[in-house]
Amino acid sequence: MLKQHPTARFILQRAGWYLLTFLVAVTINFFLPRLGTSNPVDIILAKSTGGLSAQAAREKEESYLKEFGLVKLDGHGNILRDTTIRTVKVWDAAKQASVSKPDTLIKPIKASSLDQFFTYVKMSLSGDLGTSFQKYPKKVLDVIVQAVPWTIALQLPTIVFGWIVGNVLGALAAYRRGMFDRVFFPVALLVSSIPFFVFGMLLVYYFAVVLGWFPAMGGYADEIIPSFSFEFFGSVAYHYVLPFFSIFLILAGGQAIGMRSMGIYELGTDYIKYAKWLGIKESRVLIYLFRNAMLPQLTGLALSLGTMIGGALITEMIFSYPGLGMAMLSAIQNNDYPMIQGVTLIITTCVLIANFTVDIMIGFLDPRVKAGLQMGGN
Amino acid sequence: MKLLKNLLKSPMFVIGASLFFGTILVALFAPLFYSVTLDRVGEQYAAPGAGHLLGTDNLGRDYISLLIMGLRSSLYVGFLAGIIATAVGTLLGIYGGFKGGWIDDLLNMLTNLFIVIPSFVVLILISASFKDGRSLTLIGLIIGATTWTWSARAVRAQSSALKSRDHIWLARINGDGTLAILVKHILPYLLSYVFMVFILQIASGILSEAAISMIGLGPLDTQSLGVILNDAKSNGALGDGVWWAFIPSTVLITMIVFALYLINTSMEGVFNPRLRK
Amino acid sequence: MRVTKMSVLGLPVALTALLLTGCKGHRHSSGTDEFPRDQTLYLAGSQWGDPNSFNPLAESWQAAWPVGDKFNLMYEPLLSYNSLTGQVEPDLGTLVSKDNDSIVVDLNPAAKWSDGKPVTSDDVKFVFDLGRRYKDAATAFAVEFIAKIDVKTVDDKGVKTERLSFLVDKKGRNNPLVILDLLQAIRIVPAHVFEPLIAAANNDLGAVKKLKVDSAPVVSGPYTLQHYSNEKIVLERRDDYWGNAALHDGKLPAPKYIIHPIFKSNDAFAIALQKGDLDASQTFIPRIWQKFKDGVGTWDDKAPYYVPGAIPLLVINTTKAPLNDKNFRRAMAAAINYADIKELAVSGYANDLKPGLILPFGQEGKYFDEGEAAKHAVKTGIESAKKILADAGYKAVFKADGSLDYTTDKAGNKLPTLSIKSPAGWSDWEAMVNIAVKAMRDAGIDVREGFVDAGLYWPAKPSGDFDILMDKPAAAVTPSLPWSRFEALMSSRNWAPVGGDNKMNENQGRYNSPKSKDYNPKVDSLLKVIPITTDSAALKKAYTELNDIFLDDQPAIPLVYLPEQFYEFSTAAWTNWPTSKDPYAPPLLPWVGASTKILWQLKPVE
Repeated sequence: MLKQHPTARFILQRAGWYLLTFLVAVTINFFLPRLGTSNPVDIILAKSTGGLSAQAAREKEESYLKEFGLVKLDGHGNILRDTTIRTVKVWDAAKQASVSKPDTLIKPIKASSLDQFFTYVKMSLSGDLGTSFQKYPKKVLDVIVQAVPWTIALQLPTIVFGWIVGNVLGALAAYRRGMFDRVFFPVALLVSSIPFFVFGMLLVYYFAVVLGWFPAMGGYADEIIPSFSFEFFGSVAYHYVLPFFSIFLILAGGQAIGMRSMGIYELGTDYIKYAKWLGIKESRVLIYLFRNAMLPQLTGLALSLGTMIGGALITEMIFSYPGLGMAMLSAIQNNDYPMIQGVTLIITTCVLIANFTVDIMIGFLDPRVKAGLQMGGN
Repeated sequence: MKLLKNLLKSPMFVIGASLFFGTILVALFAPLFYSVTLDRVGEQYAAPGAGHLLGTDNLGRDYISLLIMGLRSSLYVGFLAGIIATAVGTLLGIYGGFKGGWIDDLLNMLTNLFIVIPSFVVLILISASFKDGRSLTLIGLIIGATTWTWSARAVRAQSSALKSRDHIWLARINGDGTLAILVKHILPYLLSYVFMVFILQIASGILSEAAISMIGLGPLDTQSLGVILNDAKSNGALGDGVWWAFIPSTVLITMIVFALYLINTSMEGVFNPRLRK
Repeated sequence: MRVTKMSVLGLPVALTALLLTGCKGHRHSSGTDEFPRDQTLYLAGSQWGDPNSFNPLAESWQAAWPVGDKFNLMYEPLLSYNSLTGQVEPDLGTLVSKDNDSIVVDLNPAAKWSDGKPVTSDDVKFVFDLGRRYKDAATAFAVEFIAKIDVKTVDDKGVKTERLSFLVDKKGRNNPLVILDLLQAIRIVPAHVFEPLIAAANNDLGAVKKLKVDSAPVVSGPYTLQHYSNEKIVLERRDDYWGNAALHDGKLPAPKYIIHPIFKSNDAFAIALQKGDLDASQTFIPRIWQKFKDGVGTWDDKAPYYVPGAIPLLVINTTKAPLNDKNFRRAMAAAINYADIKELAVSGYANDLKPGLILPFGQEGKYFDEGEAAKHAVKTGIESAKKILADAGYKAVFKADGSLDYTTDKAGNKLPTLSIKSPAGWSDWEAMVNIAVKAMRDAGIDVREGFVDAGLYWPAKPSGDFDILMDKPAAAVTPSLPWSRFEALMSSRNWAPVGGDNKMNENQGRYNSPKSKDYNPKVDSLLKVIPITTDSAALKKAYTELNDIFLDDQPAIPLVYLPEQFYEFSTAAWTNWPTSKDPYAPPLLPWVGASTKILWQLKPVE
C-alpha cells in the first residue's frame, strides 16, 4: 500500500530514523554525565560543611543524596544501607603506600544509573523534567522556560537577517562581478575570519565604554522590571544592538561567500547560458538561478537554526545576556544532572526537527531526489 | 604538476599559501632566532617597548614569546582536529553516500547523534578522567571528534552524486567490490574536494579552540592563542585599554583563518574554472 | 526588477535607525520613574547565580542575597562585629558580657517584626533549637558549642528587657570564641511564622526549607524584598524599621531602593563601575588605581588600597613523600617569590607578607611577635631554598637550558612530579600558582600547576586527594581569628587518613596525625586553651608558640594577604563612602555586618 505513495513512505521513513536518533540521544545524554567520577552532592557538600564534625557532615550528605534521588529507599522512605563488610584502600603514611582496611562506615546503597534512568523517563513523560541540583529547589523546566526566549531572541533575528543580507550581497557579487566583486569578496572573506567573540569584546570596549553610545551588558536596563510596555521593549532593543552586530556581520560575511560561489557556479551552467541565449527576461533567469543556488544555503539556514539554542554561549557571557548558554555551562561544570539532561533534551529536539525539516525540504525541492523517489529508488 | 601551476597563477592562492606557510615557519623556527621565555621581563601589562616589543601580560611576561608558543599550540590543535575530522568524515561520507539505503540512513543517524551531543560535556568529562587534564592533544581530539559531521555531510553529497556515473556502473558490472570501487573510482575524483574540506576543518579547528578557551574550557597547562585571549578578558585588560593583550592574537587568528579561506577559494576556482575569472 | 545596491544596504541601516530611536544615553542613566536614580543604590558581587529562594532556614548556598550568607538587610543577627575596631556592635541585641562560662546578650526591647509583633527570646531560641531538633538544620553545628540558652527578664532603666545567656558547653567544644562568631552570623527568624509551617509539614524541616519565602516575608531588618528575577534583585526600604529610631537616631537609610544586578562575567563589574551604572561592587578588579579618574574609589587611594583580612595559601598533603618531610616543605616556602605574587597576582593590594598565620596589623596585630617569627621562619630566596634541599639530601638535576629535569631524594630515588590543585578560572589564584610554580622549579622542586574544574577541586579538599591544594580557610573576619585559621589548618580533632571515604572538614592536609610517632600534643592543647584564655599576655604567648610550631613544620604555605571582601565604589551617584580618611565603617559592602550603617550615611549626588 505504501509503495503507491512514495512521498508518504519517504516522510515516514525519515521520521522513523529521527525518532530512533532522538531516543538514542536522550539515553546517551542521560548516562554521559554520570560516567564521571564526581558526584554533584560532593561538590555541594565540600562548599558548605566547613567546621562540621565528620558525623554531622555525613548526615548532611545523606539527606542530600536522598533529596536528589541518588540513593535507594525502602517503602517508608528510609535509606537502605549496605551492611556487607568491604575493604577500602587507605593511604598509610608510614608505609607510603595504600593498604586495604575494613570499611567501618555503613554506607547507603546508591541508586544505580539504570534506576535513575527509569525514574527520569517516567517523570519526563508526565512533563516534570526534575529539579536542578545547583539551583535547588528550582525546577529544570522553569529555568529553561525563563532562559530560552532570550537565547532565541538573540539568535533567531541575527541568523535570519545575516542569512538574508549575506545571500543577497553574495548573489549580487556573483551576478555583477567587476569592481564590486573585487572589493567585496576579499572584505567579506576577511570579516568572516574574525572570531566573533573578540569582535563582540571590541564592540563593547569601543561603543559602550569609550564612546558610551550603547549599554555594555544585560538584556535590558537594570532599573526596568519586565512588563508589556513600550519602555521595556525599547530597552531590550537598545541593549540588543551590540550583541546583534557582533554576530550578524560575521555571519553575513560567511553567507555572502557561500552564495557567491554557488551563484557563480550556477551562472556558468548550460541551462542558464541556454536561457539567456533564448532571450528569456533577466529577472526570470535570476529566479531560476536563485532557486537552485538557494538549496544548499537553505540547508545551512535550517541547520543553524537547529543549533542556535546551544550556540550563543560566548556572546551571552560577554554581554551578560540571560540566555540558556550560561545555564548550560554552569550545569555542566557542577555536574547538575537534571539540568544537563533538560538542556540537552531541548537541543536534541531542536536539532533533530531542523534536520528532519531539511531532509523533507530537499526531498520536495530537489527534483533529482523526487525523480529518484518515483523510480522507486533508494 | 599542472594543478600546481594553475594554482600558482591565482593571486589569491599565492597570498593565502604564503601567509599560512609563513605562520607555520614562524611557529616552527622562531625559537631559534628569538629567545622565547616565560620569565618575567617587565611590569604588569607594560606597553610595547624595548625588550618586549608587543608589551607584557598580567604576569609581566613577554607577549612575543607567549604569541609564538600560542601559535604553535593553536596550529597543532587545528591540524590535529582537521586531520581527525576530515578522515572520519570522509570515510563515513564516502561509504554512506555510495551505498545509500539503510546503511546511509544509519550513518546519517550517527552523524545526527554527534551533532546533538554537546562537546562541552564530553570535554569536561574526559578531561576529568585523564591525569593530565585538558591537554592540547585532548582538545584537538575532541574538536575533531565532534566536528567531523560537517565533512561527512559534504563528502556524502558528492559521493552520492558520483555513484550514478557511467564508469561506476562499469566497474560494478566488472564485479569490483565496494572497497575497490571506492578507492579506485570515487576517491580520486573526490581527492581535491576532500583536500578543500581539510583546509576548512583546520580553520574551524583553530576557531573552535579559541572559542573553547574563551569559555574557560581551554588547555590548562599551555599557552594557546585562545588562552591568551581568555587571560586578557579575565584580567580586565579590555576595560583598561590594554590593546596589546588581545589585538595581536586576534590578528594572528584572523590572519591564519583568512589565509586558509583564501587557499580554499582559490582551489575552488581551479577545480571549477567558471569561478576563476 | 533590478536589485540595486542601495536597497540592499539600506536594510540594515534602516533597522539600526529603528532600534536607536528607542534609546537614551546610558552614562549613569537618569533612572526611571519607578526607580529614581537619586533614591536607588546599585550594588553587585554577592549574588552570582539565579536567585531561587529567600528562605532564611535554607542552606547558605541555596538562599539568594540578602538572605544567604552573612547579610543582614532583611533578617538580622543579635550582634555585629566591626572588623576595623574589633568592637562588637549591637544589632537585635547588645553584648553585656563575655567570659569563659557564658556570653550574655540583652535583646533590644524595641525590636519588632514587619507584622508588628515584637522580636522575643522565643524567636532566638527557635532558631538555635532547630539545630537540636533536626540534624539537617543550618544551625546544627551550633549545638556542639552552646549548652543552653537561659532567659531572664531584667529591668534596664525602667524598660523590661530580656537577657539571654548563652552557656558555653564545657563538656563539649568549650569555645566561647566560636559562640561569639555564631551570634554575629546566625540571623533570627520569626518563630510565629515558621513554627506553624513546620507543623503543617508534619515536622519535616526539609519540606519547609524548600519554600521560597519570597512574597511579603516577615522580616525585622531595614529592607524587604520587592522584586526579583534572574537578572536582578530589588529591595525596598521599610520606613517602619525598628532600628531607625533605636539605633540610628531616627534617621532613615538614604536609598529607598537597593538593586543587585546579576552579572555573568567578571569584567562586567569593572565596566559598570566605570560607567557609573554600578555604585559599589565586591569583586577583584585588578589595577583599581587606573579607574580612579572615572570616579571609582576604594578604601585607600594608595597601596595597599584595601584592608587585608584573609590569607590564601597552599595546603600540603603531609602524608605523601616527599611532602611528609618538613625540610622539603620549608624549602618550598623559601623558594616562592612573594613580592611578585603581591605585585602581579593581586595588583599590590596587600601589605608585605610576614611569617606565619597571624596578620601583623589590625585586630590580630597584638598577637604577632615579629622577632620570634623571624627566628623560626625560613630565609626566603632561591639560593636559600636550594641550600635547604641540599642539606636535607635532595639533589636537583637541571637540563641544558636551565630548566628543571627531576629531583632525587636521599636514597637516590627520583621524586614524582607534584601538582598544585587549584580551580580553573579564578584568575588571581591562577596567577599565584603560576608564580609559585615557576619559583619552585627554579629552586629544584619538581612541581606543576594542576588547574582543574570545580567538579574535581571541591571534592578533593575534604578527601585529601591532592598533593598541594590552593585554599583560603577562615576567610571571613570574625571575632575568633586568628584562632580559627590555626584550627582550620592544624587541628587533629577529626583526623582520618586519605583514602576510603574519609573526609576531613579541617586540616585537609592531614597534619599531625595522633597515631603517628611524631605526634605533637602541644598543637591540640594550645588550640583548646586559646579560646578560654582571657589574660592578654598569656594569649600572646600561646599564639606565639602556636605560630612558631607552624613555621617550624610548615604544613601550609601562606602566599599573600587578601581583603576579607573586596570593596570598590563609584561616586557618580552616591558619595560619603567610608575610606581610610573617614573610617566610620569597615570596608565592606553596606549589607555586611557592621558596614550596614553606611546606608544611613550615603548622600546622593545633586
